[in-house]
Amino acid sequence: MITLLEKHIVELLQEGNDKAISLLYEHYGDTLYGVAFKVVRDEELAQDVLQESFVKIWNKAHTYDASKARLFTWLFRITRNTAIDKVRSLSNKSEREIQMDVSGVYNVGVEDLRPELMDMKQQLDKIEPRYRTVLEALFFEGMTQQEASEELGIPLGTIKSRLKIGLRELKKIYGAASLLFVYLCIMP
Amino acid sequence: MKEKIHLFLESDLLEKYLLDTTTAEESARVERYIAMYPEVREAYRELEENLETFARLYSRKTPEGLRERIVRSIQQQHAGRSRFRRYAIAASFAALFFAGASYFFWNQNQNLQQENALVNNKIQVLEADMKQQLEDVRNQFIVLNNPQTRKFLVNGNQKARELKAIAYVNPVKKLSYINVRNLPQLPEDQCYQMWAEVNGEMVNLGILKDFRDKDQLLALPYGEKALGYITIEPQGGNSTPTVQNIVANINY
Repeated sequence: MITLLEKHIVELLQEGNDKAISLLYEHYGDTLYGVAFKVVRDEELAQDVLQESFVKIWNKAHTYDASKARLFTWLFRITRNTAIDKVRSLSNKSEREIQMDVSGVYNVGVEDLRPELMDMKQQLDKIEPRYRTVLEALFFEGMTQQEASEELGIPLGTIKSRLKIGLRELKKIYGAASLLFVYLCIMP
Repeated sequence: MKEKIHLFLESDLLEKYLLDTTTAEESARVERYIAMYPEVREAYRELEENLETFARLYSRKTPEGLRERIVRSIQQQHAGRSRFRRYAIAASFAALFFAGASYFFWNQNQNLQQENALVNNKIQVLEADMKQQLEDVRNQFIVLNNPQTRKFLVNGNQKARELKAIAYVNPVKKLSYINVRNLPQLPEDQCYQMWAEVNGEMVNLGILKDFRDKDQLLALPYGEKALGYITIEPQGGNSTPTVQNIVANINY
């Protein structure tokens, strides 16, 4: 289902109207920034990634096909791939490995403990860690299912089923998150 | 059919497609399934929603100033692109203009080269002609001025009584000339042709025509005891002289 807002943004984007960028930033900026941050694990890098992603979104606007993906899916793919490319280009493998080790204790910084984010944290906690780990590995670490299987020491079949169940688990919090999203959107 | 859809949904293709990690072939297959089967379409829609929900759980407040930085960089690129487009259009026109101009000059150059070759050729022909004429005039001068030059008056026989010619022969310089002063009128299908018998060989000296310039001297091949003849031949000349049509003999 395409929302009116999505349709409007896509039209502006494809017309080359830069108002589309402001609208995208308002409605998807925080989420995409979160995605970038989750992948690169560095504020400055995440900012660069978001900037590069927006430039790509602007330049590739004509390639977006609403019949193939929702706007968010398209934006997510671009941001995620840009972030993964950034991490790979830095080729700082060892540092990344260390960061991955501490990913278990990764949390939202104290300065970011806004109420809505606290809510999100609670929502996130609703997903069982075994599913969350798989989802994060696949969604944010840029791993293939095979790589996730090797990295996490879980059989490939289990990765596949956890991905499926994990995504289904999201349904449980979907309603709440949607309400939260609406709340965030109407926030001044 | 149900089984096929079930198997498809059980595989991880849809999830991989969602994350844009499918191959081109896999993508085509997924897109075909999404287009054909409502169950697949619904599952994909659900996955997309779930992805957004999941991603939103990681939302992070963007830092101050990032929006302005992004908008600025896009505006700069936008301006750069339109500037580039303007330059590209200008460059295309310039390239087109230069291509046209190049063709025009190339064409002109070809024409001039052809003309140049033609003119050079003409100059060479003229030069050769001029040298020939100069040589002729020099020889005529030598013959006419040399005291050793002998002068013979040539008259036509009964077939052409009005024929008058003067032959000049210089045995020292080995030069002979003839000046045909008068030729009787001939019917249109006939002409006068001149011959010389030098060292036993008959040489065709060509057709006598247009004798308006009565002072013109005609070179004769030199030979000891050579004989000159003027004959009447059919229009256009003959390859051998017609003996019965000899109108004048010149012994020199």
